[in-house]
Amino acid sequence: MLQELLGKKLADAVLVLASNPWSDVPMPTLFTDPDRMEGVDPLAPVAPVSSARQASALTRSPSGKTVVLVLRPCEIRALIELVKLNQCSLENAIIISMDCLGRMENKIFSDEAKTGPGITERFLSSPELQGKITTTCSTCNDFLPENADITLCTLGAEPGHMGFEALTDKGKALLESLGFKKGDDLPKRKQDIAALADKRSLSKKELFDATALQMSTIDGFQTFIGRCLNCYNCRTACPVCYCKECVFLTDVFAHPPELLLERATRRGAVKMPTDTSMFHLTRLSHIGHACVGCGQCSSVCPSDIQVADMFRTVSEKTQAFFNYTPGRDVTEPIPQLVVRNGKRGD
Amino acid sequence: MSEYKPKIVALVCNWCTYTAADLAGTSRLSYPAEIRMIRLMCTGMIDQKYILKAFLDGADGVFIGGCHPGDCHYIDGNIKAEKRIGGTRNLLSQFGFEPDRLALQWIGASEGPEFQHNMTAFVERITALGPSQVADRMIL
Repeated sequence: MLQELLGKKLADAVLVLASNPWSDVPMPTLFTDPDRMEGVDPLAPVAPVSSARQASALTRSPSGKTVVLVLRPCEIRALIELVKLNQCSLENAIIISMDCLGRMENKIFSDEAKTGPGITERFLSSPELQGKITTTCSTCNDFLPENADITLCTLGAEPGHMGFEALTDKGKALLESLGFKKGDDLPKRKQDIAALADKRSLSKKELFDATALQMSTIDGFQTFIGRCLNCYNCRTACPVCYCKECVFLTDVFAHPPELLLERATRRGAVKMPTDTSMFHLTRLSHIGHACVGCGQCSSVCPSDIQVADMFRTVSEKTQAFFNYTPGRDVTEPIPQLVVRNGKRGD
Repeated sequence: MSEYKPKIVALVCNWCTYTAADLAGTSRLSYPAEIRMIRLMCTGMIDQKYILKAFLDGADGVFIGGCHPGDCHYIDGNIKAEKRIGGTRNLLSQFGFEPDRLALQWIGASEGPEFQHNMTAFVERITALGPSQVADRMIL
């Protein structure tokens, strides 16, 4: 289908996960030649990077080309947040998404892929493999895409089959130009969605309650981030932490020795590298409202800190406080910027 | 043992609260010496990290004084500050910080007595809360 989009000149380029001979996990790949589209694997249960950042790189200024972006639901939400932050535009983009059954960590995916061919097909039909997704994914109940043009539906479909659902007029027109005719609704779809939503909501509540309890004291919070080595990987992997120059990488936090010594003197001891609490609390306060719960921060942490558990738990309350849902609507203004009559300030 | 004197950082707007502090001074209205005032051009420039930094570096309370809604020199910097500070209070309360240690008040340029009153009340409130746990226990 993606090949035909390019072949029929309905789009100029496609960004989609595709395997290549050099990597053991599929990587986001930008295709322009339909004949070169090998290894395309949009439903592969892995996301070595949030493609929202790549999608934003492709749409940050008008190129005059139509780009198809194949994204997970959380990546779409992040992309919507980036649009609101004036980082990109969706004018010439067609978004294709899927019922997201979650992703595995790179290492687990790679090990499973080695056990035989067709990891994606096996994953879609095997509850056992589906149990190996990340904690973030297994506690995410936003697995249906919003703001996509077309959804690839696997929930409720027979094994090995897939349905297409057009969510917008643009998507509908595209499916028609590709020669798809409206078929019957997938009979088991509603039931499958409800079952997955229930399961995920339950485990989400358990995780959030446990995390909130753990972080409810200063000591608990420090225990949570105690191993942090200030590598800022979580910041780099975060699709919505968009500043080109992060303050934590500037001289503001390159303290002179006197200051470090003074800090140690004041308390008698200071953990190094310093400013770990400062870093996490600042990130939580800067972009807590925009956290889309993709879990990349946990995946990239070299110290195995469950950053995403903390972020999602805290952000849920921040988002409730501002009555804001990130990635829901591209016209919904960022809450801190609403100053008059529900409108965004200048 | 000497009487507990809290450390309080006040981030105040140049156009209103700072002018009110001046007015309080020229009117010979005294206010507690525990307040360390930092003048900013607008409360709208307060990044959440200024507040976090103050607490992590040992402040027992942070007071933010801005213009009354509608009076901002930069149209709506004070409203943006209100949003951010609301979010910060919400965030801090989740980690066992006492959100009452962070206050936002509107004090206009002509309100010298109000400035004195607010500062005295805030110092009393922080004194009652006692030393901040953050300064002692947040070592990371």
